[in-house]
Amino acid sequence: MSTSVIFFLVLYYVVVLGIGYWAMRLGAGEDLEGYLLGGRKVGPMTTALTLQSTSMSGYMFLGAGALGFTQGYWAMWFAAGDIGGGVLNLSVIGRRMRKLSRMFGALTSIEYLEKRYPSPAIRFFAGVLTVFLLGFYVLAQLIAGGKGMALVTGIPYPFALAIAAGIILIYTFMGGYLAVAYTDFFQSIVMLVGVMWVVVAALSELGGLTAANNALNDLDPTLLSVWGKDLGFQGQWGVVAGALLIFSAGYMGWPHVVTRHMAMSRPATARKAGMWATAWNLLFVPAPYLVGIMAVLILPGLDDPEMAIFQVAGKLLPPAVTGLVMAAIMAAVMSTADSLLLQTGSIASRDLYERFINPHASERQMVTVSRGLVLAIAAIGYVVALYEPPTVFSIVIFATSVLGSAFLPAYVCAVWWKKANTPGALVSMVSGASVAFAWQYLDYVETTQIAPMLAGVVGSTVTMIVVSLATQKIAPVPSCIKEVMDQAAVVGPIPKRLLFAADDGLSPEAAAIDAAGNRRQSR
Amino acid sequence: MFGLPTETALLVFGFPALWIVYTAVFLYRSRAWRDEDDGDGTA
Repeated sequence: MSTSVIFFLVLYYVVVLGIGYWAMRLGAGEDLEGYLLGGRKVGPMTTALTLQSTSMSGYMFLGAGALGFTQGYWAMWFAAGDIGGGVLNLSVIGRRMRKLSRMFGALTSIEYLEKRYPSPAIRFFAGVLTVFLLGFYVLAQLIAGGKGMALVTGIPYPFALAIAAGIILIYTFMGGYLAVAYTDFFQSIVMLVGVMWVVVAALSELGGLTAANNALNDLDPTLLSVWGKDLGFQGQWGVVAGALLIFSAGYMGWPHVVTRHMAMSRPATARKAGMWATAWNLLFVPAPYLVGIMAVLILPGLDDPEMAIFQVAGKLLPPAVTGLVMAAIMAAVMSTADSLLLQTGSIASRDLYERFINPHASERQMVTVSRGLVLAIAAIGYVVALYEPPTVFSIVIFATSVLGSAFLPAYVCAVWWKKANTPGALVSMVSGASVAFAWQYLDYVETTQIAPMLAGVVGSTVTMIVVSLATQKIAPVPSCIKEVMDQAAVVGPIPKRLLFAADDGLSPEAAAIDAAGNRRQSR
Repeated sequence: MFGLPTETALLVFGFPALWIVYTAVFLYRSRAWRDEDDGDGTA
């Protein structure tokens, strides 16, 4: 293993841990709002980059490259939606969700759902589903980190996997949203620099984009087509729509991503954050797919397509720069894994343990539950990743499709549709998750040529509308919720009487926060 | 363009252009938000 690679990796870890430690100290001594949402004081650029780096996981360096390598320019359908995912999310729900979450006094994205659709069933189902899927999503990050480290350093995969999992755990246990947000900021810069370096090297090697495309055309013209290698997806608009949808509108259904809206310093932060998100995405998102496509020419005998970007970097770049690329993949992995684990731990401890098992849980008990679950997820993930590792692409597509299908209408209607009620939201979440899961498990894509994400979102949206309208009389939306929704639409400060307007009976955690605050003051 | 078929060029360059336009329209339409602050419930 090159000393330059070691140097860059160690430097990267030191800087990330340093930023995390600094941010943790910055948020130390604050209440639970400080721990879970950074005290709602995150600015536009950090909001944009934590949103994007959380969304862009190790998938971008493994799955995206593999898709480009195996399907050519068809892979760009995913990038085409992904580029606008951030601004779409921020423009549609960002500002209103920030205001609503403050008026509800909600600290997690699942708690927010219960406040908007008042029912313990909403919180229980959403909490269990999210913990399961985010845990599954973490698995993909472990595999990505382990594979990448094994390839670049030469360490055997089991040890590389253990090192990757260990670093992610240490880093996550530093804890706190501010630590995650500020390290995400740094990591998004590392990701961008790393991937751009590989793109420039690949295009230089091939004599530019036009020459590379001409060479691809000579090799296999279908790789240049929008329908995939051998035109395998020709006319399959249902699959194309799913590819466009999953990383654009789909973001709005990811609980660990929409939490970013709740942590913004002001509702208006969504505006500039949208601009930063688009700028970063334009540079970053197409790059891994493009490198994967170019790898067809650079690495014709590549065995594992998920290694396309690593192999291109290893072949074309000097060792020092390969170390930077390795740091970039670890940045992509860790910036997603830390957010996933923080959210999974928070949801398990607050939305499930405190809400349903021990309403009077102390902060120490909640931290124990949170860390215990994080450890369990990492341990299970390690075993699965070691003995039967699925592809990173398949895990990410599965987890994000089910998450997006289950929660997209619930989060969008929460801010835009006053008739969206509890039965509608519950049936929507159950049907969206079920349809997306069944579509993948039973492989309906082959027979219907419709992507699971599209089928799931159609199912959850239709049921949200139909059930909400059918149950308006028996389950009307409470007037206090309609009032805060009206206020969220208004551009201006929140009236004092509407802060924490939701039913306190549904908020045992609010009492716990007060009690924790009182204990701190008394110390 | 760049050796790509027309429809592929539209996919690669057209969608990013659409998102740039979307972002510009969003910034313009949300210009009234600039001075908004949710404050401390003092309204």
